Amino acid sequence: MITIASHLENLAFMPHFPLHLNSLFLFGTILLLGLIGGEVIKYGRYFPSIIGFIAIGYLAGPGGLDIANKTVLANTRIFVDISLSLILFELGRNLSFAWLRNDRGLLATSITESLLTLLSVFSVLYFVFDLAWTSSLIAAIIAIATSPAIVMMVANDLRAEGPVTRRALILTSLNNLIALTLFILVLPLTEKIPPTAFTFILYSGYRLLGSILLGLLVFLATVQIGKLIGKEKESQFVLIVGSVVLTIGCAYMLKLPSMMSLFILGMAVRNFDYKHILMELDFGWLARLFFILLFVVTGVQLNLKGLWEASLAVGLFLLVRLVAKTVGICLFAKSNRMTQKQTIALSLALFPMAGVALGMSNILSDFNPEFSQRTLEIVSAVIAILNIIGPIFTQIAFVVTGEALATVKQGGIE
Amino acid sequence: MNSLPFLTSKPFTLGVELELQLVNLQSFNLTMEADDFLRRLKEKINEASVKPEITQSMIELNSQVHTSYASLLTELRELRNLVTEEAQQTHIGICGGGMHPFQKWKQQRIFPNERFMNVSEQYGYLAKQFTVFGQHIHIGCANGDDAMYLCHALARYIPHFIALAASSPFNQGVDTSFNCSRLAVISAFPLSGTPPWCLTWRDFEKYYDRMLQLEIVGSMKDFYWDIRPKPEFGTVELRICDTPLTVEKAAQLAAFLQLLCYKLLNNRQPVTRDIYLPYLTNRFRAARYGFDAMLIDPERHTKARLGEDLLETCIGLQAYAQDLHCTDALESIKEAIMKEENDTGWLREKFSTLHTLSDVVREQTQYWGQNIKMAS
Repeated sequence: MITIASHLENLAFMPHFPLHLNSLFLFGTILLLGLIGGEVIKYGRYFPSIIGFIAIGYLAGPGGLDIANKTVLANTRIFVDISLSLILFELGRNLSFAWLRNDRGLLATSITESLLTLLSVFSVLYFVFDLAWTSSLIAAIIAIATSPAIVMMVANDLRAEGPVTRRALILTSLNNLIALTLFILVLPLTEKIPPTAFTFILYSGYRLLGSILLGLLVFLATVQIGKLIGKEKESQFVLIVGSVVLTIGCAYMLKLPSMMSLFILGMAVRNFDYKHILMELDFGWLARLFFILLFVVTGVQLNLKGLWEASLAVGLFLLVRLVAKTVGICLFAKSNRMTQKQTIALSLALFPMAGVALGMSNILSDFNPEFSQRTLEIVSAVIAILNIIGPIFTQIAFVVTGEALATVKQGGIE
Repeated sequence: MNSLPFLTSKPFTLGVELELQLVNLQSFNLTMEADDFLRRLKEKINEASVKPEITQSMIELNSQVHTSYASLLTELRELRNLVTEEAQQTHIGICGGGMHPFQKWKQQRIFPNERFMNVSEQYGYLAKQFTVFGQHIHIGCANGDDAMYLCHALARYIPHFIALAASSPFNQGVDTSFNCSRLAVISAFPLSGTPPWCLTWRDFEKYYDRMLQLEIVGSMKDFYWDIRPKPEFGTVELRICDTPLTVEKAAQLAAFLQLLCYKLLNNRQPVTRDIYLPYLTNRFRAARYGFDAMLIDPERHTKARLGEDLLETCIGLQAYAQDLHCTDALESIKEAIMKEENDTGWLREKFSTLHTLSDVVREQTQYWGQNIKMAS
């Protein structure tokens, strides 16, 4: 007689419960939820879709329903890394040396706004809130970087085009380069046991020069392959994506900061491809896919703890950052021949802070899990707030200057 | 009563309007920055020298009135240098060419002023499709009758200018197989084509009044004819040419028209309405085949290859070139005709070696500023 147990044995082909959530399931779910969040938020006037992606992530994360926690997120790490890398590659491509040569004011503006941000945020955290100088310095460095993902995505959503959009992109590119460089240089200082001068120089030097060299080597290889495949759009697309992924892989193997390598790769493609072997590619749909993923995951990782426990520090951090960036841009507005409206819009456009900052915070906590929790909480809270209000500021900047082709109306972007 | 007074100007003086492309130096697509770029330019250049055009990716350069080819060329070079240097500072590219090879017309934005907004309202999608770039040449006329005579007498030479100036082989990302694909866009407008058969200014005034009364036009600007009188300047205005890739070529074309007008008015032959029988066919063939077009001559009942007819025309103008001090310009034109070279040929050759249209536009921007140190 056939027992129930033997029946069940025969059903081994059936799924086992509880179901194991695999990476692809999570990837798909994140994308679809993000998409829904983005669409829903657009019905609110003046809210960019980014806020919807982030809100969905936050709701699903530990701060909300706790469906997606750190363990679950680890499974999507590879996709997040690719997203961030593509953004950094794109950011590097926005850095045109020719423009910097022809308009010296740009570099001066960027250095000034970055330096002012560094000094003001450092002063607030170190002198006013008594944080350790290394913590204050790291937080101030993170504050320099404007979120490239937000600026790019808002510009893309609004189909913004014009002098403010282009300047926002190159200044974002420059301040990210400055922030990444400083971050790599000072990261060893956050070690529990302070490094010797030799270790410090060796470690910082290896990571900085190594990541630059890696970016350049991959660029040279990309150009050689480009020569081989010719100017076929489809093949060149695969070439660039392949090079980006290869760079991430190499950076992991060599323990180098992949963000810098990717930025350098993009920068080299823009400025050192003298024979124009590589085509100017628009990542379009692919970029959107990864952008949504990145913002939803950013939402999951949002930590608002600092907002309640150090609200004054967070508030001052935000204020001095905005003022520093605005002053930096205003100081050179006349020599850059920008109108008053353009100057204010550019200052607003540079306000967001998200993906790269979060990436740096993650590196920091990976590097030294015991690093000042208070600093991380403050930075996380600032990132959380700027994830929400940053895209609105950037959107306002592009709309008031008339550079947004899509108009913002009730019911979303048209 | 003169409802449309024709302002007298010194005969055979010349002036040029050049519609130029504003290009993004990363994608080499058109960039929508005319508004801001003009603001910057006007801080350095006389306001009348630069003007907006229908969409945000276009600007128009205007020369002063000149008595000679040499002074026109000098001014155009100065304007080119100023505009190019200013463009470099704000990191956009400038180039000639009758069409941008791969811009998408639906992505263009109408320039935000009353006139262009009205045009957009009136013509709908045609206004954005009007993102094409032409050279307009003005020749001074002593009176309106001369201007009307030239409007008709020059009709025979419209194909010649089309072939010489052609620089728009690519449109919306494809090779159109035309030498000049820009004309097809202009033909869509109801007030394009040729001026009415009026041989005196008085007749033209009557025609114009009627058109005003019927509210078909609001001003002379509403006529998009290939050639038209311009009473407020006291000129006849040829509007058929694509913007050439260089200012040197633009000045040569202006000198060529100046010579033709000089010859036509000094050897005034009667014009007949028959001149318009093959007009559209000849115009089409010149746009399609360039120098290879077979032109129909309604008076002689013959057909002639455009390249050969052009050469013959040049030879016929040689005697007048010295009077107008434009022998150099005529020689350059003649050389181009003998080699059968125009800007369309140059663009196609670049595409055949570079394989992408964005690389072709990069070359165009460098060619435009070839005598200026360019940072690409």
